[in-house]
Amino acid sequence: MVQPRPAVPLAQPWAFPPESRHLLDNGIEVLLYNRPGQHITSTRVLVPAPIAVEPREVEGVAAMVARTMDEGTLRHSADEMAELFEVNGIAYGAGYGARGLTVETESTAAKAAQGWALLTECLQEPAFPPEEVSRHVRQRLAEIEHEDASPDMRAAKECAAVFYDQRSRASRPAGGTAETVGGITAARCATFHSRWIRPEGATVVVAGELDEAQVLRELSATIGTWQVETSAPQDDSLAALVAEGETRVRFVHRPGAVQTEIYLGSLGPDRRVAGGWAPYPALSFVMGGSPNARLDAVLREEKGYTYGFRSVFRPRSEDGMFIVSGSVRSDVTVEATRLTLEILDNAAAGFTEAETRAATDFIGKTAPARYATADAVADEAAMLRSNGLGTDFISSYLEQLALLRAADLDAAWRKWVDRPRTIVLVGDADRHAAGIRELGIGDVTVV
Amino acid sequence: MRPHYPIATHRLDNGLRVVVSPDHSVPAVAVNLWVGVGSRHEQPGRTGLAHLFEHLMFQGSENVAEGEHFAALLAQGAQMNATTWVDRTNYFELVPTGALELALWLEADRHGRLLPALTQGNLDNQRDVVKEEKRQRYDNVPYGTAYAELTSLVFPEGHPYHHTTIGSMEDLDAASLTDARDFYSRHYRPNNTVLSLVGDIDPDDGFALAAKYFDELTNPDVPSDRPLAAPLPPLIGPGRIEKTCDVPSDRLYFGFRLPAGGTDDFITAELAFDLLAGLATSRLYRRMVRQDQVVLHASRNAGARIDGTSMGALIVDVADGVSVERVEEGVAEELHRLAKEPPTESEMAAALADVERWWLQSLAQPDERADVISGNALLYDDPDHLNTYLDRVAAVTADDVAASAATWAQPESAAVVVYRTEEN
Repeated sequence: MVQPRPAVPLAQPWAFPPESRHLLDNGIEVLLYNRPGQHITSTRVLVPAPIAVEPREVEGVAAMVARTMDEGTLRHSADEMAELFEVNGIAYGAGYGARGLTVETESTAAKAAQGWALLTECLQEPAFPPEEVSRHVRQRLAEIEHEDASPDMRAAKECAAVFYDQRSRASRPAGGTAETVGGITAARCATFHSRWIRPEGATVVVAGELDEAQVLRELSATIGTWQVETSAPQDDSLAALVAEGETRVRFVHRPGAVQTEIYLGSLGPDRRVAGGWAPYPALSFVMGGSPNARLDAVLREEKGYTYGFRSVFRPRSEDGMFIVSGSVRSDVTVEATRLTLEILDNAAAGFTEAETRAATDFIGKTAPARYATADAVADEAAMLRSNGLGTDFISSYLEQLALLRAADLDAAWRKWVDRPRTIVLVGDADRHAAGIRELGIGDVTVV
Repeated sequence: MRPHYPIATHRLDNGLRVVVSPDHSVPAVAVNLWVGVGSRHEQPGRTGLAHLFEHLMFQGSENVAEGEHFAALLAQGAQMNATTWVDRTNYFELVPTGALELALWLEADRHGRLLPALTQGNLDNQRDVVKEEKRQRYDNVPYGTAYAELTSLVFPEGHPYHHTTIGSMEDLDAASLTDARDFYSRHYRPNNTVLSLVGDIDPDDGFALAAKYFDELTNPDVPSDRPLAAPLPPLIGPGRIEKTCDVPSDRLYFGFRLPAGGTDDFITAELAFDLLAGLATSRLYRRMVRQDQVVLHASRNAGARIDGTSMGALIVDVADGVSVERVEEGVAEELHRLAKEPPTESEMAAALADVERWWLQSLAQPDERADVISGNALLYDDPDHLNTYLDRVAAVTADDVAASAATWAQPESAAVVVYRTEEN
């Protein structure tokens, strides 16, 4: 016989795994997360130097430094470095975000120290061979073309360009534009590296099954030896200034496109927002976090216009953005845009307790499994650290989350609902720009 | 280093295979079901039906209202999804321990009692959603249809793998409610399904819960599958598709037939593809990307398939100002060379170390572990594969790799798809 639907008992309380904190002799902070049972050790090194310090004419040089630090050092050629990493099964990666450089390795526990020695070599004495840098420059230029050909990436880039004031770095792609990347040379990489990639303020995060005393000895012998002679420069550049004024609509023309990408960005909070961060992940979920969320309930499940819409509050170190995005079949472009805005406007009428509960339950109860692996713990700890926060932030926001009521979501939504907004469409403007203009949602420019 | 995850297996009277792998480090359980139905089971004129059906499985069942499957599980902190591929459809959720029974009840309802909730309205709505999925992932992105074109060259007309899982717009339009009902009745059945539970659960408890919720599911009298196809030899006189269209750079796809999944021969071929284009020290990457700089990026994939023959692919993006022909010649030379010059000791060491790391890293996630267990239990009757795979990889010699490349990965047996930019 068919069993009755089972009831679910209350979940056990959970907190983010605690770290142990240490300082290496050169001042680098170490955060260790011991995760027994994990076969892989995950390491993240954060070097704080905001991307806004890049010289304007070679924007993208920071990302290029991240990409080429392992392409040869004073001791090893590019091929030798690749072999040293790969023969030991060490995955190495580096990238540059708004707040600075992140270098990461993943390896079996037995090879972790070898990875730290190699990444120290990359940080401390990269050679930037001209033939390797010029190869990466060409690869990056090709990537920019690929990004522009992809509707969602094209939309995101256009949104940032319109939403942020042209004076601020956030209005332009972190990896640079074709014009600025074309000007990057090995010498420019070396200059940026020597000026900004330094041990002061750096942090190392290690997660895995750890013998802490041994890990500290090995870190001291590797990244703990990283020194630079010169003094640190100061940074006073402009990071993220929002363009004021009415809603702007950009229609990126793609003749004959079978779908239109719809991408809305508006001002949102950062993690330190008054009233706490917890309501915002809940709002992201209620609006666009599942097929039952407000956007997909209409646009996907009722109308069948889309494979799925998403919404997310994306915090920066100061303020952030609320982003709604999805793609719809071309012939419903205008109607889907109108409906999307109507769904967002209607949210001001308030959220229900049931919606609030569904969101807080989902976010709170998924936490233990989301942070089950060493790499997930290391990623979260590194991301928070780069924003000046510890992982106690997770536990405290989960506590706040559990207490949220619909009125808290209403209040949080109201705070940001009338803030500057940008709307980008990527699709066939010949067919739909006139219809979008008729919606009267803002000045429409076709690009 | 080798994993030693515990594996316990059990079969219910109705044929459902159940695998439990306890791990109490996180208060959660990965629930994972693989059903032995994929696009290779579709009939001509009805491509895309297996995947469309996967969508219908979220639209309610006899005791579960439309939208309730998602709502009930999300509210308990489940992370869930489903995917369809050529050989199978999988359904999975990672749930807090307390929600395990609810998850099993919901799964049993849709895997055994879906038809009362299957309506024309649900079918029409999800057909529209799937068409938007096809447009978003394939039709509206550069090179989006290249893989389908390559597949159609590797497998002949009429072969179960000739068409891709997403199907065609015409066939999606043609799918009727009767097609959907028949498809479910034939393929969704306990003796064509594996259920894996990985995480905060012990074997006896897991087996008892599986029996409690799945015992009453029954099998129809019709067989769910036909015998597997005979293996295909490497392509002779392989086909070629050339397109000039709005893409950012010239790109070449090379497609090869490979041995069926579950065999040591397939594992050897997989390693050959790693040695060609899986690493920064791989031969194509080292020569064409790093040394000659005629290619911007090279990648490979080798996907195991059960129906006699698998498929491997090499994908290279041509650098600006370099001719497609020059790159094609370079790739051909490296394929010939791998057949004649076995990989060096350090090439083999790098490939093995890379497999070891990504294998252990992906298995760190209970949901990934459950997926590997279900898949290998369903298709290859090998639930212990997650523990033995690295030993099988380590047993491959450099000479094996060269021999595999000589048989399976030569330019003379490569189907080719070329995308050229419009300005050339």
